[in-house]
Amino acid sequence: MNRPATPASPHGDLLGLDLALIALPVAALPHVWHQPPWITALVVLAIATRAWLLGTGRPSPSLTVMSGLAVIAGGLTLVQFGTVFGQEAGTALLLVMIAFKLLETRNRRDIVITLFLGYFVVVTSYFFDQSILIAAYSLLATGLLTAALIQVHAGRSIPRRHLARQAGAMLLHALPFMLILFVVFPRIEGPLWGDPQREDSARTGLSGELDPGDIASLLQDESTALRVQFDDDVPPLRAQYWRALVMTDFDGRRWSADENRSVIDPPVAGDADRVVRYTATLEPTRARYLPVLDYPSALPEDVDLRANYQVLRDRRITRRIQYSAAADLGTPPGAGEAALDPQERTRALHLPPSAAPRARAEVALWRATHGDDDRAIIQEALRQFAGEPYRYTLQPPRLQDDTTDRFLFETQAGYCEHYASAFAVLMRAAGIPSRVVTGYQGGAWQTRGEYLRLRNADAHAWNEVWLDGEGWVRVDPTAAIAPERIEQGITGLATDTGEEIPGFLRRGDGLSWLQRARFGLEDWGDFVRFRWESWVLAFDPERQRELFARLGLDAQDWRSVLIALGVGFGGLALLTLVWIWLRRPRPRRSPADRLLQRLSRRIARHDRALARQPHEPVDAWTRRVRQARPDLAEPLATFAGVYNRQRFAPLSPDQRADELDRLRSVLQQVPRGRPSTTKPKRGRA
Amino acid sequence: MRPDSVTQPGPSRRRSARLRDDAIRWITRRHAHDGEQAHLGRDRIYILPTRAGYTLLGIILVMLLGSINYANNMAFLLTFLLVGIGHNAMWYTHRNLLGLQISTLPVPPVFAGQPITLPLRLTETAGRAREALVLCIGSHATAPFPVPARGTHSARLDLPGLARGIYRLPRQRLDTRYPLGILEAWSWLTLNPEIVVYPTPIDPGAATGGTGEDDPHTRDRREGEAPDQIRPYRPGDPPGRIVWKAFARSGKLHVREAAGGQGDRLWLEWDAMPATDTETRLSMLCHQVLAAHSEARAFGLRLPDQTLDPAQGATHRDRCLQALARFRTDGVELDPGPAT
Repeated sequence: MNRPATPASPHGDLLGLDLALIALPVAALPHVWHQPPWITALVVLAIATRAWLLGTGRPSPSLTVMSGLAVIAGGLTLVQFGTVFGQEAGTALLLVMIAFKLLETRNRRDIVITLFLGYFVVVTSYFFDQSILIAAYSLLATGLLTAALIQVHAGRSIPRRHLARQAGAMLLHALPFMLILFVVFPRIEGPLWGDPQREDSARTGLSGELDPGDIASLLQDESTALRVQFDDDVPPLRAQYWRALVMTDFDGRRWSADENRSVIDPPVAGDADRVVRYTATLEPTRARYLPVLDYPSALPEDVDLRANYQVLRDRRITRRIQYSAAADLGTPPGAGEAALDPQERTRALHLPPSAAPRARAEVALWRATHGDDDRAIIQEALRQFAGEPYRYTLQPPRLQDDTTDRFLFETQAGYCEHYASAFAVLMRAAGIPSRVVTGYQGGAWQTRGEYLRLRNADAHAWNEVWLDGEGWVRVDPTAAIAPERIEQGITGLATDTGEEIPGFLRRGDGLSWLQRARFGLEDWGDFVRFRWESWVLAFDPERQRELFARLGLDAQDWRSVLIALGVGFGGLALLTLVWIWLRRPRPRRSPADRLLQRLSRRIARHDRALARQPHEPVDAWTRRVRQARPDLAEPLATFAGVYNRQRFAPLSPDQRADELDRLRSVLQQVPRGRPSTTKPKRGRA
Repeated sequence: MRPDSVTQPGPSRRRSARLRDDAIRWITRRHAHDGEQAHLGRDRIYILPTRAGYTLLGIILVMLLGSINYANNMAFLLTFLLVGIGHNAMWYTHRNLLGLQISTLPVPPVFAGQPITLPLRLTETAGRAREALVLCIGSHATAPFPVPARGTHSARLDLPGLARGIYRLPRQRLDTRYPLGILEAWSWLTLNPEIVVYPTPIDPGAATGGTGEDDPHTRDRREGEAPDQIRPYRPGDPPGRIVWKAFARSGKLHVREAAGGQGDRLWLEWDAMPATDTETRLSMLCHQVLAAHSEARAFGLRLPDQTLDPAQGATHRDRCLQALARFRTDGVELDPGPAT
């Protein structure tokens, strides 16, 4: 079609611009939280100006003015971000350009381009947020953009309700395509270019070093760290130690993990009864460790088990991952080995010479009492912690100087990391190889969805000591001082200590209904999030491979992909056909006609030849039947009479209903079965 | 006054247009000619992406690359949602044409140079309201129009004025880009209403200056030999009967009045027209026909190849005008200008 170079009537060509001016800001709204305020202000200003120009029927600013503004905006973006590439800067530039394009819009093509870019704006908001709320909001934004596109191409102003229905239907019909392609489209690992990780997205997680105060900061973090679904039975809470980092090196104050240990093979699980299989979904930590249930016996492919029983992935975890693993609850590392590797032993006994002199003196006394009995020494230490004056508190005083001595002999108040650190020092002083393990312990069992939810607040630290023949035996000093922490998780603390712990951790009694409702809602929310994250966001090449394998296909093989696509879309096409067939227009028969059909069927059971032919008038038909079957003459004559009156006489609704009742009663007078006088004939019409 | 609104395309353009024409003819060779009515079935609806469609495809591809690069599952979801929407748009656009019935109504004849309005009726029987349909012939198109569900719409396609003659419509196109504009579905129609273009009326008197006793065009021949009566002009007398010669001499208006009533039969003759070329003669005859009709006189028309006996009335007038329009022509295909 020819389009005039200068539209004679700008309003004709700008049909749908009003809707675009609504849809685009809606699409851009989630960006407000992630963009500098001046971008928001600029976009709002541009759109408001365009709306005002449209409302007052003024033309849009000239191309020269617009080009000048666009150059300035591009320059500002460059100054703000130092680049025009990358996620933030690119998005900012996109928003600004769309706003200017809208301001400059002259014809239909301009509107269409901005609306297309609007879809792009929606997708860029996923850089910053992938929650289910944003997903639902995107549907709204996409629907509005689509509605605006429809309006632009409708050639006339379409009522909003009709537009909404049309756009909604388009979205709804596209959902099956989306699902099939989402599952079947071949996923590949890794970025195509650049480092896709945003720089400022570091999340709190366990750190590779343990310094008093580290975990305390995590205790304030109610966000989810790990969600676990168990294949079979759920092990008891006190047996669930999720090991993440193993720290052997101590500098007198700080414990640190070593990522360079050699890779070993996971042990063969001994007793099948004690093997627990599970699937965990880990939030991004930007670290390489994978929390696994003690003690790991089977691991996913792309992770290694290191010599210190620390599980590391080959690269940092920058997005949510899901992994399946198994644990043998009862076989500690090194079980059955007569002695520890000498080098490892030296490392696990190392204490800086100046560290913890008072603790060393104390341990010397214990040694004098218990002699060579390592177990007795361990028990002695735990006994010390269990009684006065040691306290378990989440707000311990700050520790100066030599942290171990300060804690053991002065403040005597702390939580897992203080106890674990002090315990390890005591053991090393006594000549027992020991190390600190950090990870998660406890968590909340979510009955809805049947999964264990571990928050960052469930972070924990404990110890492992080497006992010849038994291997690295787990000792949790926190269990001695605050057994409820281990038995019930960190929430169990509240009742016992009256401690000022974060509100979200208090789940026991003594909650107001409002708090209970809040927590109930929160659990629901986490359930929905978990489903969303585990079903949608965690779908990756690995999951896809598994899914294909379950269907007997190979996700890496293009033939398999084609088969899956064919089956998916074939099924979809079939469903569509069935749907169309079900909704096909059917001639609606009047009630009288339906009764006539039933009568004909009834008579046909007596004699097939007597069925009414489609072309046969009712009178002619009943006459024919009456001749063949004088016994049915009376009801048939009545039927024909009533039928004709019902069809052709002007009747009131009441009369009509009466007549229909008469037809029904006449129908009942015709025997259903086959009378003995007729020749037996098989089959029915 | 022969408008030549259609600019002559250059030779290369002509050739590509001809190639295109041949291609379309080859594609549509299996379709029967429509005549007065066309029903749009699946076998004659074509669909292709528009430029906007390719733009959206590009955007979707960029989104897909981004999704892969950032391993962003929500981006995958939205990308595939758009793929689904785009795919379904094909179906929607196609259905916007499917099952429509288009019929032509008789085209009111026009005089040469006057714009032609082609009346068409679109009938919807499938129960789906149709939106934004455009009917076009070459570069001439209607404004987008809707057709209500189980209803009809009367569309008018305006075509520029043409020279005298009989025209056939070239291939027509009914197309739509509804709902998203990313796809265009169309159907070629071969509706064949006859377009009759009468000659432009030219007053023979005005053309020749209107002087001279023996102006052949005023020398009406009568078969009933009764002489004319001259009487003074009265308001309301048709101008065609004014005796201009008398006016030139005396400065007073007189009209000629037929003497013999029924016998007053006027012959409009080809040979009597004061021009040599066919079109001008036809134009003059056209003027005379109109004049005679407005004077409510019986007249006959004598053309070199045809003679219409004297009669009176609108039907007779139209028959005469038709005869003029059809004179030495058998239907030309209307040149719709460069196709787009």
